[in-house]
Amino acid sequence: MRLSDLLGAEVVDDAGRSAGHVHDVRLVQDGPLVGSFGASLRLDGLIVGRRSIGARLGYERRKMRGPLLVKLVTGWLYHDGRYVQWDRVRSVEEDRILISGSAEELPVPGPSS
Amino acid sequence: MAGRILEAGLHLLDRQLIDKDGRLAGKVDDLELEIPAGGGPPVVTAILAGPGALSRRIGGRAGAWLEAVANRLRDGDERRPARVSFGVVKRIESAVDLSVGKAELETNRLEAWTRDHVIGHLPGAGDAPE
Repeated sequence: MRLSDLLGAEVVDDAGRSAGHVHDVRLVQDGPLVGSFGASLRLDGLIVGRRSIGARLGYERRKMRGPLLVKLVTGWLYHDGRYVQWDRVRSVEEDRILISGSAEELPVPGPSS
Repeated sequence: MAGRILEAGLHLLDRQLIDKDGRLAGKVDDLELEIPAGGGPPVVTAILAGPGALSRRIGGRAGAWLEAVANRLRDGDERRPARVSFGVVKRIESAVDLSVGKAELETNRLEAWTRDHVIGHLPGAGDAPE
């Protein structure tokens, strides 16, 4: 699987409701050891939402710092960002990712490093 | 979660690769993810770089054209993008530092192909200093 298979794909829940598209993929460095890098990057989950420009700038994460005006505007525009833990992913199809449970129960993305 | 948290698109994609001697060695155009042998969630196993990797992100006709060009420049029948194993990644900061030299990387293929097939055939190319 490639990162590009996930980015932009539509996330759909059990009931067929869309949770939006994958804006980014969260990785945690606690996987099996790999060469000079140490612990490998494990896929922890997907950051999804209905809009995209702010997400690529990082403003979808609630604790992201930045110019106040930009933060306020993008915060208003991109308040619908949600997080899908990887263990909820049932299958990855072309341009579509099926998840278990309801899209309405998804939490907001926490802060990254 | 004890490990460092990164967002692939924000912290890795399009970052510059730097080899062990400080030379530019391509950019992060995509990532390869695999499920470990013991099972569990996928982990990042390689950085994919160059036109063969970028073409999928571009998509459409432009992406297909770029992929065709990348395949043409490849030796043999292997149709896959240049791959940099994550085992040679040393550090991820504003750039991605590698623990090996540029010449050892598959990302060097286009430069090597141009040297062997184009530059090498120019009159006087054999007189050029190393």
